[in-house]
Amino acid sequence: MSKPKRITLKEAGALVHDGDQITFSGFTIWRRPVALCYELIRQGKKDLHLFEVQGGYHSDLLVGAGCVKIWEGAWMGQEMLGKIGENLARKQIDGDILVDDYSHGHTVGRLMAGALGLPFFPCALAMGTDILNPEYDQLANAGLRDGKHRNIPAKKYVIAQDPFFGRSDCLLLPAVNPDVALVYAPIVGDEGTVRVLSQSYNDAEVIKAAKTVIVICEETVPDSYLRNDPAANLASGYEIDYVVECPWAAHPTGSQFYYDSDADFLKSYNRNVRDQKAFDEFADQWIFGVSCHEEYLERLGTKRLEGLRASSIMGYSSRIKRGTRA
Amino acid sequence: MKYSAEYCKPGEFQPIDLLAAAAAREVCDGDVVFAGTGLPMLAITLAQHEQAPNAVCIYEGGSIDGRPLSLPTSVGDARCTYQASRASGLFEAFYGQLHSGYVDLGFLGGAEIDKYGNVNCTVIGDYNQPKKRFTGSGGNADICSYARRTVFIMVQEKRRFREEVDYVTSPGWRVKKWPSGEWASKQEVYGSYFKGGVSTVITDMAVFRFDETGEMYLDTVHPGFSVQDVLDHVDFKLNVDRVSGETLPPTKKQVELLYHVIDPEGIFLP
Repeated sequence: MSKPKRITLKEAGALVHDGDQITFSGFTIWRRPVALCYELIRQGKKDLHLFEVQGGYHSDLLVGAGCVKIWEGAWMGQEMLGKIGENLARKQIDGDILVDDYSHGHTVGRLMAGALGLPFFPCALAMGTDILNPEYDQLANAGLRDGKHRNIPAKKYVIAQDPFFGRSDCLLLPAVNPDVALVYAPIVGDEGTVRVLSQSYNDAEVIKAAKTVIVICEETVPDSYLRNDPAANLASGYEIDYVVECPWAAHPTGSQFYYDSDADFLKSYNRNVRDQKAFDEFADQWIFGVSCHEEYLERLGTKRLEGLRASSIMGYSSRIKRGTRA
Repeated sequence: MKYSAEYCKPGEFQPIDLLAAAAAREVCDGDVVFAGTGLPMLAITLAQHEQAPNAVCIYEGGSIDGRPLSLPTSVGDARCTYQASRASGLFEAFYGQLHSGYVDLGFLGGAEIDKYGNVNCTVIGDYNQPKKRFTGSGGNADICSYARRTVFIMVQEKRRFREEVDYVTSPGWRVKKWPSGEWASKQEVYGSYFKGGVSTVITDMAVFRFDETGEMYLDTVHPGFSVQDVLDHVDFKLNVDRVSGETLPPTKKQVELLYHVIDPEGIFLP
């Protein structure tokens, strides 16, 4: 059993290699490892293969910055704050990126198989849909299901009969074991125990499925504190390879009991990145135009960050203005 | 607050209020409901305040039976887990709850629908060379696959109610059997896993349901619209033989609840 290694954001970025398959913690606009995605963009990563249950700001950024070659997932957007991932939509239409669609159930099942060390996951979800239309299998159409690509299965799915009870046909979905998981967690113990403070999303499966796990966190605490309530913990230290301490690392996505998602920032991003030039301007301002994460926070300013800060009782901000009548 | 069970008269409610009220009526007491962000959240919460106090809500992020104090803006929101019985994850939501058969009702949206209830929320145009891209399935296909009943809330436009949708994201009553692609009934494709399917479509003009053969028919038309208005906004041959009348408007109590209790901040309502 070994403890995870404490490293810097820059060192964490360097652990991701061009062409790697990567996956993320979180859900739409919550608990995304955004600071690390900014760093990957600064380091100019290329040809990444993203596998995620659903995408959001963090992955749309990587797509916009030209870091991504393949995107596999079920959904891309910012929920009420921006219905689609603008960069992904644009680059798919332009033919600059390969997009392979699944349903949430499919991606969740594929990750779970990877997490459990199983070859595939059986289910009966989204049958009869074009998600299974062989003509729409983008990775096959691009000739990538030839067995030469370590993270691309030979088939998108198989429909199989139940060999045990003779029940109806079901769907077998290939496991996914990404090269690197980029995980944001609010709290990590000094021996690497990971705790999240609300819904667990797919965070545990992402950690188990990936070959290398990097966790960026708000704060590290003595492991003994987390071990006083083991039922509340998500993962054990030996499952984690690297830890980066980096407050506000999920901004503009939220982190329950630390800060709310920054609705204004996300809405403005989605409105403004509808062409490449606008995205590049955004990246110049918020990614390339700052030398480090601390400078990014300085640019956001105390007032903005304090407004997002979560109530320690409720877990979300009660000060943020959310609607038109608030 | 004095609530009135009296129905609103024209001018006393917004179109979206009627949508929320019509959707809320689809919830039975005790239903386990799987709902998405936005209007579905208003509808399930409204139903819980009225005829379905024991309805349970599951959100995709993993919160089960939460009792949020404020309207969430995301199904992964911290607000969803307030007083929840569990804060689980997507595996529990999609497999532990949905695939295992607990879910009675799904509330979903979509961009296009055909007469069998096949819904597109992925792409406009040829999937291999799309003209316009949407979010993709998310939980749409899964919930529609496995919930006993599914309600779609959509915008009524001719280009959205089509003979054939550009891409089937969520399965209706007649679907393609892959990998061959021949048409078959949903019951045949799902076999022993079959639970039910799309039951109702609610738009800004009307409420639609599905007959014994799985074809859509017009049930009620919202106040201020005619059957002909609806026909003018559908691009396939719509069965209007079963129209049962006008959609009930929201009650004054429902409008009070929507604006003062459920969404006082004006997050979703104007």
